[in-house]
Formats: sequence, structure tokens, C-alpha cells
Amino acid sequence: MSSWQTAAPIPLTGADCFLRAFDAQARRRNGASHLSQLVLRLGPGFDLAGFCDLVARVSRANPLLRAPIRRPFGLLPPVYDTPRARLDAAPPVRVHETPSRRSGDAPEVFFERLNGTQDLRRGELLGFDVVRYGGGAEGTDFAMTWAHLLFDGSGSEHFIEWLAACHRGERLPDDLAPAEGAGIAAASAQDSAALRGRGPRERGLKARAYQARMAAFAARPPRSLAGPLRRTPQALHYAVETYDKEETQQAVERAHRQAGFLTPVLFYLAAVIRAHHAVFRQRNLRAASYAVPVVANLRPKGAPSAIFRSHVSMLWFQVLPEQVEDFATLLGVLKEQRLARIREGFIENGAAAMNFARWAPSRLYARMAERVLKGELASFFFAYTGDFLPGLSHFLGAEVLNGFHAAGVMASPGSAALLCLRAGHLNVSHVRQQGVFSPGELSTFQAELRRDLLGVDGSR
Amino acid sequence: MAAPSRAELVRIIFDILRTQLLSVGSEFTERSSLVDAGLDSLAVTQLLLAIEEATGVWVDESLLTPENLASAESLAACVYELQRRAS
Repeated sequence: MSSWQTAAPIPLTGADCFLRAFDAQARRRNGASHLSQLVLRLGPGFDLAGFCDLVARVSRANPLLRAPIRRPFGLLPPVYDTPRARLDAAPPVRVHETPSRRSGDAPEVFFERLNGTQDLRRGELLGFDVVRYGGGAEGTDFAMTWAHLLFDGSGSEHFIEWLAACHRGERLPDDLAPAEGAGIAAASAQDSAALRGRGPRERGLKARAYQARMAAFAARPPRSLAGPLRRTPQALHYAVETYDKEETQQAVERAHRQAGFLTPVLFYLAAVIRAHHAVFRQRNLRAASYAVPVVANLRPKGAPSAIFRSHVSMLWFQVLPEQVEDFATLLGVLKEQRLARIREGFIENGAAAMNFARWAPSRLYARMAERVLKGELASFFFAYTGDFLPGLSHFLGAEVLNGFHAAGVMASPGSAALLCLRAGHLNVSHVRQQGVFSPGELSTFQAELRRDLLGVDGSR
Repeated sequence: MAAPSRAELVRIIFDILRTQLLSVGSEFTERSSLVDAGLDSLAVTQLLLAIEEATGVWVDESLLTPENLASAESLAACVYELQRRAS
């Protein structure tokens, strides 16, 4: 029996609680849940009936996928209340038949899903949308949309891989153990992995150190293109720019050369900061600073991959506009900051702060974050997730033509860039709230990003 | 304090990897691929800091090539070379 089938409630990690707080925040401000989405663009041959059957079996075997998230007695840390998971609450598979030809953009229904709500207290954690072109003969677009705390990015990819393996008959819907059983054991330890051997007082001090560091950001308050938090119905779209193989090779080589073979993330972050900065400049706006969180994966390196729950902390970067003008200068500043933050234990401090979020009411936690950054949540959201499902050539019988991540982004910051590599192509998913970018600003953003990624100014 | 020999550097780096950074079993040796064992961007930075603390040698990120990160042995060779040049 898998750990996910046990009758006992499963505690949320600190990172889960942190995300739950922002789910509550997004609902209050923007009337939407804080959701993530994984998209596969598939060729013909998708086994729809097989998929629906598989989801039903997986859901039956894993109550976590439909478990209400509750805080027991209103006081204790929140849990996946698996004993109360309703049998009839399997993740929905919504099928959309369309006679129209597939366009380069993702289907509108995928955006609608990200702008919608899922009630965590009712166990609405996960759903699928399947858009079939010509009855599937001309291909299928597939989206898995989930409450941001159910999986982190790598967990969502492992889940898709596992579904594909179940369909091929190599895995069974109830065989998440032992690999993921080891994963949950690691994950339970993981809650305190960064804090191992530290007592409550030391954890408290670390959480306070994290908060103090965040508060220091306010000396040069960060700014986003959407401005401080506001109440507005969420209306976001995203567009994915797929670079061709030659361009991708150029960008990847440049990233490795300038930022390091294992640490290209800062190269991509620098390019995205400068693309946003170009829009600020076009508006004649001057931000006192730009502040961006970058997720640090806390999973034990090399351990079996856990699927469910978030196992992350955060590194924050803050740069001044004058440090952004030159790419090499900016990259140098980001490298220095990463080293300094890791040296001072910022990641462990972040884990401690998130751990305390398990006890704090979500509203209180979101208000603290707002206050610290003077009404902003960040200048934008960013992720570079590396190779996207590198071992997956087919999904439920259909060839995977492309794939990428997307995510909700609240009215502040209103913009997010999620980068990944798929089969030798760089994908840039740019998620934005309606009205945050004018058409001209969008062109500027894309052109600046391309210029820095490819080094078309001649710099290598 | 005398600078560590090349063999000692291999042992120091291997111990840091095995006990502090990676979740690996007995199949992981001084010649195992670090990337295949799960070394990622965060772990490699933590590794550099741990090496600096243990040996006083700072390995610049520009030296983190696939060749130098092929194994604990190859990384130790890189650190040894830096140490030799500095002395």
C-alpha cells in the first residue's frame, strides 16, 4: 500500500502552506486560485478513453488527489484530509472537440482554467483539459492544471511520466510505493532537512533572519509593471515563444559559458530582468529596485523523486536599475548575491520561515509579505526548469511535439517568465495579466529578451 | 598547516558529497559522475563553499566544466591545480 493510501491525514510542508497563503491572497484580490499548469502539445493517437479510465483508477488509489485541505480544529497545521476524500471527487477530465486547426497559441480554455478557482477545502486540487482537433486525428492539446501546492514543477513532470508509464503497463495506479514511498519518507525529513538538528529557538532565529533580509529589500522598494497589489478579476493569458534549434544551441552555449555549466539559471534570470527593465524604460518609469524570488529545490539530491507536495525554499535577488544596464555587470551582481545568500544560510532561513507558515493563519502570512515589500509581491515571477520531460517521447499513445509550464500570476506583479528546454528547443512561457503590457511594450520585452539570450549584439 | 595532497583532496571532496550534499549509496565512488548522482546548481554552490571552508581554495564557477565535474577525482585535480598555483 502506498503512503498516499493511508487513512491518516498527510501534513502539508512549509512550502505548501506558503503557497496556500498565496492561494487565499489570489482569491481575495483577483477572484482566482493560485494554479499551475503543464501543457503537452501532442500529435495524433491520444488514447482518450484510456486516459479517462487511468485517471479514475489513479484517483481511487490515491486519495491525496481529491483530499480536502483543512486546518484541524482551526488551529493545528493544515493537512490533506485523506480520510475525508470523497470517492466521487476524481480530478475532472474535460474534453473539448474543435473542428478548427490548431494554432501556435495555446487554446483559450487553458487560460480560462488558470483564471478560475479550485476549492482546496473541497478537495478540488487537480483537473485536465483535452482539446482535440478533428476528433484527435489532427492532434491534441493537453493541460494538467493543479493547485500550486499539490506538486512543485519537477513533481508535476514526474506525475506525468508516471501516468505515461501506467498506460504502457510498466507501472500500476497504486504502485507509488516504494519509490515514492521513499519519497514521502525523504519528504517528511525534508520538511526539516534544511533545519536538521535545530531546535525551535534556532529555527525561530533563522525565520527572523529571513524576515529581516526581506525587510531590508524595502530600503529600495521593488516595483512590478502591474504596480502594487490591487483588487481586479484575474484575466491572464500566456504566449509561448519557441526558439529554433540553432537559436537554442546559441542561447544554451552562451548560458553555460557566462554563468556556468550547472548554473545557467542566472543567465536566463539576467535576460528576463533586462527585458522587464526595457519596458520600465519605455514607460519612463524608474523602479527603485527589482526583486525576484527564485525557487531552490530542497529535495535530497539523487534521492528517488517524490511526486506530491512542494519541497522548495527560495533565493531572492534584488538589483538596482543602474546594475541592469549592462548584461555582464548584472550577471556578476546576481552571482555575487547567490553566493552571499547561500553563505549566510538564506535557503535554510527561508525553509524555517515557511515552516512557521504551517502555524500562522494564511491571511496573516500574506499580509506580512505585502508589508515587507511595500505592497508588491515581486517585480515578476521567474523559473527556469531545465529539460522538460526529457525521457518522454509519447504520452498515452501520441507523440509529444512540445511541452512547457505555465502558472497563474497575481495582479501584482502581473508578469511571469517560465523557461524550459524541450527536445533541443528553448520555450519561454510569458504569462501576463491583461493590460499589464501594451502591444508595443510586449514587442520591446520579446525583442530585448531575444537579444540577450542570443547575444545578437555580438557579445559572446 | 600543510596543503592537502591530491589524494587527501579526493577524500575531502568525496566525504562532503557523500555526507552533506548527495543522497547516494555504496555504489557512489570517487569516480562516479557527479551530475548523474544528482549534483545541481544549488548543491554545486554549496560544494564550492564547503571546499573553501575545508581547504581555503575557492573554485571559480567558470571552472565548473563538465570535465571538472565528471567525478570527485577530477574536481580534486582541479582544486589541487589551483592550490599548487597559489602556493
